Amino acid sequence: MNRIVSKLNEDKKLLSIYFTAGYPEINDTVSIIQDLEKNGVDMIEIGLPFSDPLADGPTIQDSSTAALKNGMTTEVLFKQLESIRDTVSIPLIIMGYFNPMFQYGVEAFCKKCQELGIDGLIIPDLPVDVYHNEYQAIFEKYGLINVFLITPQTSDARIRYIDSISNGFIYMVSSASTTGAKSGFGDEQTAYFERIGKMNLNNPQVIGFGISNNETFTQATKYAKGAIIGSAFVKHVTKHGVKTIDSFTKSILN
Amino acid sequence: MTEKMKLKICGMKYQDNMEQVATLQPDYLGFIFYEKSTRHFNSESILELPKSIKKTGVFVDADIDFVLEKINKHQLQAVQLHGKESPEYCNNLKKRHAELVSISHPIEIIKVFSIKDEFDFSILKPYEQVSDYFLFDTKGKLPGGNGYTFDWNVLNNYPSTKPFFLSGGLGLNEVEKINQFVNSKASRYCYALDVNSKFEIEPGLKNIEDLKTFKKNLSTILDNNKEIVMNYNVDEKGYYGEFGGAFIPEMLYPNVEELRQNYLKVMAEPDFQKQFDKLLKDYVGRPSPLYYAKRLSKKYNTKIYLKREDLNHTGAHKINNTIGQILMAQRLGKTRIIAETGAGQHGVATATVCALMGLECIVYMGEIDIARQAPNVARMKMLGAKVVPALSGSRTLKDATNEAIRDWINNPVKTHYIIGSAIGPHPYPDMVTRFQAVISEEIKWQLKEHEGRENPDYVVACIGGGSNAAGTYYHYLHENDVKIIAVEAAGLGVDSGESAATSVLGKEGIIHGCKTLLMQTKDGQITEPYSISAGLDYPGVGPMHAHLAKTGRAEFMAITDDDAMNAGLELCKLEGIIPAIESSHALAIFEQKTFKPNDVVVMSLSGRGDKDLQNYIDYFKI
Ligand SMILES: Cc1ncc(COP(=O)(O)O)c(C=O)c1O
Repeated sequence: MNRIVSKLNEDKKLLSIYFTAGYPEINDTVSIIQDLEKNGVDMIEIGLPFSDPLADGPTIQDSSTAALKNGMTTEVLFKQLESIRDTVSIPLIIMGYFNPMFQYGVEAFCKKCQELGIDGLIIPDLPVDVYHNEYQAIFEKYGLINVFLITPQTSDARIRYIDSISNGFIYMVSSASTTGAKSGFGDEQTAYFERIGKMNLNNPQVIGFGISNNETFTQATKYAKGAIIGSAFVKHVTKHGVKTIDSFTKSILN
Repeated sequence: MTEKMKLKICGMKYQDNMEQVATLQPDYLGFIFYEKSTRHFNSESILELPKSIKKTGVFVDADIDFVLEKINKHQLQAVQLHGKESPEYCNNLKKRHAELVSISHPIEIIKVFSIKDEFDFSILKPYEQVSDYFLFDTKGKLPGGNGYTFDWNVLNNYPSTKPFFLSGGLGLNEVEKINQFVNSKASRYCYALDVNSKFEIEPGLKNIEDLKTFKKNLSTILDNNKEIVMNYNVDEKGYYGEFGGAFIPEMLYPNVEELRQNYLKVMAEPDFQKQFDKLLKDYVGRPSPLYYAKRLSKKYNTKIYLKREDLNHTGAHKINNTIGQILMAQRLGKTRIIAETGAGQHGVATATVCALMGLECIVYMGEIDIARQAPNVARMKMLGAKVVPALSGSRTLKDATNEAIRDWINNPVKTHYIIGSAIGPHPYPDMVTRFQAVISEEIKWQLKEHEGRENPDYVVACIGGGSNAAGTYYHYLHENDVKIIAVEAAGLGVDSGESAATSVLGKEGIIHGCKTLLMQTKDGQITEPYSISAGLDYPGVGPMHAHLAKTGRAEFMAITDDDAMNAGLELCKLEGIIPAIESSHALAIFEQKTFKPNDVVVMSLSGRGDKDLQNYIDYFKI
């Protein structure tokens, strides 16, 4: 069974962390992943940096620019992950924009992911219908789960469509924003969380964007199976370095 | 014209019947505005038909005012003239339609000629320039609808290349004959079949079952391409061949989808067209002249016409698009406008229309460009816009575009994003192209005045993202006798590492929501292009142009900084026109490529050089 699916079947709320591969230093990738697992994180999104990350706010933009400057590429990342499954057992997802995958070759990329033990992909700028028509068969062939985003503006009909072609979880973007833009949830968000909860979707939902501390994590996981933290974690390693991951996860999980 | 044969069903009268007939998806439906006809259409309105069906008004020696009134009232896209209308009549109708109804959506004129056994084709000649199609039907007692065919062999002597409608007595019994005809030389320019009386239960009431059978029996002709013809326009999925689409994060989907669902509908509204045409005329100063550049032509021993987009308000073609998009934004109820800009031309054009309409305007501009383009930054501020520096990535145009897209993600409901070129996710490339298409629309009639023909031998334009080029090519894309030249910026040289020649250096990929050719590393990271001209300094190219490059429909040329600068200065000296450096790239092709003395070359002079004075001063040490 895909590790994402088994993890989603566990009877607990999930904490998922995003980080930018190759940041702050090119060779931090593996140790960050290992430390996150050690400190109780349930799932990891490994950010494959892109020159033009449209859906990201300044924090992840800057970390991506720095990672690229450090020499991070698709090849380098794959190389770093070669023995990752010797030490790490939680689900690993690669999150990145479509162009680098497209250049690598979508099938070659998926095949490599399977070899390395990657469980899923999040590609914000690969539209659902293009995935559905052109790539779903390839993803399935290599046992990869593709995760789609929904937002407060996504219509119910479209959510149902996305639900119908998802096979892991649905990434619920908490508000109309790029990553790291807002902090804290207001009435509008909770109404949206409730609305989606009532839809009784086939796939569990994991909330991301705007989750930065214990309070927002607790709020989000009241409505959803789990929550994803990205910018706040990247900010933390920028400020405190990669040796203090435990203090970050503790502050979230209390 | 060897696309699939079109079908016109004429003499519609009853709404219910019309609705049924429309389900057969004919290409034209005809409504007869001739009182003496038993099929005279006298209802107050025509029900809403699918956009793919052209509503055609049929008239017999009617007053032009009467024709225009019907066009306006029923939003007709074509008129069929069945009487003794003269070439002047046709010409006046076109002109007055452009003035009173729409410049951007010209009316199609179908001139009818009736044939008995013989026909003197020389009478077609004066109509060549003033009509879009000919229609041949059978000479009989009535002006049309006599119910029997003429001898189609007559058409073996058809001397013209104008596409024509075949009409007169076509019915189920003629299927076999039509099949033979279509395989004969006489059908070479046959564009459509026109049916009427043979499919009637009574005059004006069509027999749906018979029409279905007819369509089915002729499906090889009506549904298949006789020859595969290329489509250079966007398809219904938003692609130009393999390029285009909408590769956008889900957060943008509602915005882009709202636009996609509405843009064609809004643009087709007579009110919208009227307002657009009026602003282009009164505010922008259109039509822009098509100027025969005599001394330049003499120097290069060919006939060069410059389409003077530099004379538009704000100094470039960019305003055609921003006028169109601000009207679109208003129709969609948007109150906040965002835009990206590189050199500042599109930013100024956007700030201008926002001032005109009293809408909030935020322009994203790379931090480096803000420093390089101080006068345009000042202009935008004077016009009331807020200029926000893009601090990410390479801090130039591509990053300004990223920032604008991020703004839209964060402000999804009340904001419209005015993209400045024929780039971005579908429907942007097509929408921008349609707004810029006024350029080639005007070239057609202007060139006819100069040269007696609508089609030049070449159309030429410089390409950044490709909006002035798309507008210059638009009405010529499917005119095979018109060659297309696209001019890219080679910077310091295509192989120098400092270049913006995307068609040579680019590879297929995704940029700003669109699959197209773009400059990137092997790893798929988008790279920074270089050109002396800020407006050509974009790492991608619009998907239409990627398709034109890939199919070979357009010839792509690359011009270096040096060659462009010299060509710009040459135009100053020879013609008294200081061109934008972008446009100077197009001008430089005459040093690279030799044209024949009789070739008519129409070139888009996309902008004026005021904004580039400092560059010219520094370069030539003036
Ligand atoms: C005068 C002029 N010409 C051409 C361009 C290139 O844009 P496009 O390729 O969209 O016409 C620009 C862009 O700023 C411009 O200002």
